[in-house]
Amino acid sequence: MSSHVKKTAKLSLKRLLLANPWGFVIPLLTGIAATLAGVGLLGLSGWFISAAGLATAMGVGIFFNYLTPGAIVRGLAILRTAGRYGEQVTAHNHLLGLLRILRLWVWDQRVAKDASNLHQQSRGDLLQRLVSDLDQIIRWPLVVFLPWVYALLAYVAVSIFAYFISPVLLWPLSIAALLHVLVVPYVCGRFASHEVHVGQILGVHRRSRFISLFSALITLTIRGHWEDYAQRLCELDERQRRMEIRIQQAVSLGRLLSYIVTILLLVSCIYLVSSFNVETGKWTLITTVQGTWIVGFVLSILAINELVLPLVQSFVAQGQSQVGLRRLNQLHHQPEAIVEKPIPQIEQLLFKQWRGYHAPSGLGSPATDIKVNHGEFVWIRGTSGSGKSTLLASIAGDCLSSGDAFINNEKHQIYCNPSYQAKLSYLPQAPYVFQQSIAANLLLGKTNASDDELWAVLDAVALGDWARSLPNGLETLLSAQGRNLSGGQRKRLALARLLLRKSPVLLLDEPFDGLDKATIETICHSLQNDYKPDILILVSHVGSRLGDNARVIEL
Amino acid sequence: MTREKGTQKARRTGRMKTPETVFLGQLANQQSSKYRLAQGFGVLFAVSLVLQAWAFANVFSGMALHQSFSLSLFVIGLFALLIRALANFGRERICTSASRDIRYGLRSKLVSHLTNLGPARLRIEEDAALSTRVYEQVDALDDFFSRYKPQVFMVTLIPCVILLSVVSISWIAFFVFMMTAPLVIIFMIFVGHKAAQANRRQFNVLAMLSNQFMDLSQGLSELKRLNRTDEARERLSDSATSYQKTTMGVLVLAFLSTATLELFASLSIAMIALYLGLGLLEILPWQVGSSPVTLTQAMFLLLLAPEFYLPLRQLGNDYHAKQKAEAAATDLLEILDAPLHNAASQQSEPSCTTQAKNSAIADQLTSIQFENLSWCEEGRYRLAPITGTIRQGERVWLSGESGVGKSSLLHLLLGFEDSYEGTFLINNLPFSELDLASWRAKLAWLPQTPEWVNGSIRRNLLLGIQTPSEDEINAALRESQCDDFIQALPAGLETTLTELGAGLSGGQMQRLSIARALLSKADMWLLDEPCSGLDNDTAQAVLNTVKTASKGKTLLIVSHDTHPILWADKHWTLTKGGLHEQSRKENRQAIA
Repeated sequence: MSSHVKKTAKLSLKRLLLANPWGFVIPLLTGIAATLAGVGLLGLSGWFISAAGLATAMGVGIFFNYLTPGAIVRGLAILRTAGRYGEQVTAHNHLLGLLRILRLWVWDQRVAKDASNLHQQSRGDLLQRLVSDLDQIIRWPLVVFLPWVYALLAYVAVSIFAYFISPVLLWPLSIAALLHVLVVPYVCGRFASHEVHVGQILGVHRRSRFISLFSALITLTIRGHWEDYAQRLCELDERQRRMEIRIQQAVSLGRLLSYIVTILLLVSCIYLVSSFNVETGKWTLITTVQGTWIVGFVLSILAINELVLPLVQSFVAQGQSQVGLRRLNQLHHQPEAIVEKPIPQIEQLLFKQWRGYHAPSGLGSPATDIKVNHGEFVWIRGTSGSGKSTLLASIAGDCLSSGDAFINNEKHQIYCNPSYQAKLSYLPQAPYVFQQSIAANLLLGKTNASDDELWAVLDAVALGDWARSLPNGLETLLSAQGRNLSGGQRKRLALARLLLRKSPVLLLDEPFDGLDKATIETICHSLQNDYKPDILILVSHVGSRLGDNARVIEL
Repeated sequence: MTREKGTQKARRTGRMKTPETVFLGQLANQQSSKYRLAQGFGVLFAVSLVLQAWAFANVFSGMALHQSFSLSLFVIGLFALLIRALANFGRERICTSASRDIRYGLRSKLVSHLTNLGPARLRIEEDAALSTRVYEQVDALDDFFSRYKPQVFMVTLIPCVILLSVVSISWIAFFVFMMTAPLVIIFMIFVGHKAAQANRRQFNVLAMLSNQFMDLSQGLSELKRLNRTDEARERLSDSATSYQKTTMGVLVLAFLSTATLELFASLSIAMIALYLGLGLLEILPWQVGSSPVTLTQAMFLLLLAPEFYLPLRQLGNDYHAKQKAEAAATDLLEILDAPLHNAASQQSEPSCTTQAKNSAIADQLTSIQFENLSWCEEGRYRLAPITGTIRQGERVWLSGESGVGKSSLLHLLLGFEDSYEGTFLINNLPFSELDLASWRAKLAWLPQTPEWVNGSIRRNLLLGIQTPSEDEINAALRESQCDDFIQALPAGLETTLTELGAGLSGGQMQRLSIARALLSKADMWLLDEPCSGLDNDTAQAVLNTVKTASKGKTLLIVSHDTHPILWADKHWTLTKGGLHEQSRKENRQAIA
């Protein structure tokens, strides 16, 4: 709907509420109807019965109009049921819609990040955000906002009723409403907010320590020190547990407080409408007040009590949502508008005083001049750590760089420039294989490729026989990050995807890593024939026919 | 009636007792004493409920009929309300504490199980996803143990108590309760059963959705280069929308079970109210002119009516807690059910024989022997039967095609897999009788992807070893050719490594792990393609370092033909058919 606005805007609870106003109004209205019907059902039946009893006692039972209240009681019962049902269904529909909006928002923020900052957030952290933060946030309207509105409206309805009984009842009622709806939940929320916050931070910390420790599991185990490190993981868990206990205490105490407020409300209301009769030794209601009405009133207060109990928890949940939102907003990224000149057909690439580097350490390649002409193959060599990969990534526009880049003698900005990147295919050292079928992975290179094309390109990277040996062939699903592939297969699959694009410039970073000679030969053959690019820049420590025929740049 | 409900339920679960329900039941039994205490509070709650209704009924009838009421009864009513609140408070505290104990206990059990699985854990999931299971999925059990589980008892208790207190007052009300309660349960089972299946499917789809997002997000730089981010967004949007549609189809049905409950509860309250009202007016068709109940009794019944259905309704609302817990249990069981056949279990029962063998392995490593050693899994060879010997001080180069079991052999040596067949001897002793800790202490491990924890380079180098002198560290750095680039780093050895590295190249990271192996002074080095990320020159230089540094040590190095280990004493070629050994001389000739 407003996807474009969403792309640039920060998230807030208000925005979330207004994200899909109509989707929200329906559950709200049905919920209100159900709530009021619930309170009314109890209050009205109380009045009805006591009035009936009174009528009989006074001998006017025969003339008592029992049909109307009876019908209303039944009507309220059905309304309450239908309302609850409608609320649950529509609210969940709204919630799922929110989930979709939030996911897309996160996606947009990620897309807006430039290449070198893309992996700024560690993976564990990102996972935490996505899994738990989104869940926390989408719960907000359902857990916090709706119950709050219901409680407030129930109070309003009972207040109107109280006004007709005796306006003096409004005093205790409004004080109790203030306590129930605002003060108690707020105090509990405040009390727990620190713990909620710390708990969330601990959660991230704990997870990143888990991932970090487990990625060094074997070394730690064989050194016999795993226990110590595992112990520290347990300590974090223990701290998290203490936070959880305190949050739970706040919620439980808050509920107890709510109960006590209800009891005090009942005491004060009854006190206000009655006086002590010395003769009978009993408390008597003041004359202007009907006993039957008071019965209905007290019953509806008991019904309200059930409504306000969840509020305490909701304010704690509010804290959780806000922490989640704040952390999601850290993802927020204002995309900078880059003025892009159209990139022409690439005849020549020239890099002057060109240096690629990584932002945090500043480590990178030495400054060099590189010139590549149409039809030329270049092999960049150098010792390990000389910055070949960084250089190649910066040429691909994927990595920060200094120096000037010229395309056909015209200066261009190439870092994160989509129209430049559209002209080239870059195979990084660790390419990503998606958790989809082989065909779907390949089709990312060319969406409308035929099966024949896919088989041809698989053969070109010597994966054809492997794919044919799979029971599901091209439709074989690859597991997360291509873990059921070997490193060499993963790389070749990514290469096949790039070859399908047939882009004029091909940049390959160590394509022959871990491959046997025959496979290397096959790939070289493909790159020199069917899939020959206009310009090829190769980084490799493995000699190949491709390298033999290329101009060598030593770094 | 409620008994009947209990047995019905037991039969139902008995018929299709899934591993998940068994698992959750076992976990709950760990805290049975706490749950019993919570049940005690539940009884207190139920009793005060009836007391409150009785006191208020008297107060109300007094108010309605005489405009006056007894203060003491009013105070009793309020007091009962307070007791209710306190009982609830206590019950809640105990149940959440039980849930916490279960979850945190389970979590540490999971962590230790994963630890014992070692490299095999990666066959379940990668570390990041495992962390989700260990943290989020375990927490997903919370609602089940803190709310659903105790609520099941309340569902039986409260209606029973209410029925008992109602039976002496009004047979009609008693029958209304009796008739509607089973109807409610039958409907709940009828609809809930269908909803449960659908719900489970929905959880799977949600997991798939998260997975899809993570997958696309991790490959985002690839998508950006391919200029396919918009397509990916569309895919995300489409699957979220279709998920919303199918889920709503499911939920409309699932909530129907709750709605049925609500309807019966509401209608029953309305029926009782109407019956009582008409009864009081003495115009019941079968009882014109006389009232079946007094006003006090009527009030009492009316106050109890909503409470009768409340626990059932709550259980209906918490039903999804059970679904959530079962879905989580599936994932957790996958970890706990992963077969553990390593020596962790063996360590817990130190026998005399193991003690005796300890000294044997504490000595110098003299030989490693494989005889028809193979490792079969799911009917497929992960490692074909091999025969061979490594003597102390021998340096063995192991090569072979990928997937032939080179890494599996290393995992066997690391002691993470015990399900091998054939003979596997260390110093002529069966491997299974070794003291694993002292065997592992002799090893240094250099895998394809170096193992790093978050922390400084120094901390990583000294991971789990006695702190050596600064000179020793510098010597190790020199030997592994790390000194140059570490000096170039602004923070030197204190540079922090994170999950994302620190701008160091793969080769540099690998060289750091060689420095670590040097520092650990291990007897036996296991190297799994340590040079796959290095170019020829550096690889050769590093391998030379390994050559000089590992003199007198035993070495098993897995390396591709592209990085020949010319100085190795033996060259083993592993194939699907077994192990072929070439002597050093043949090895050199073959390369030449």
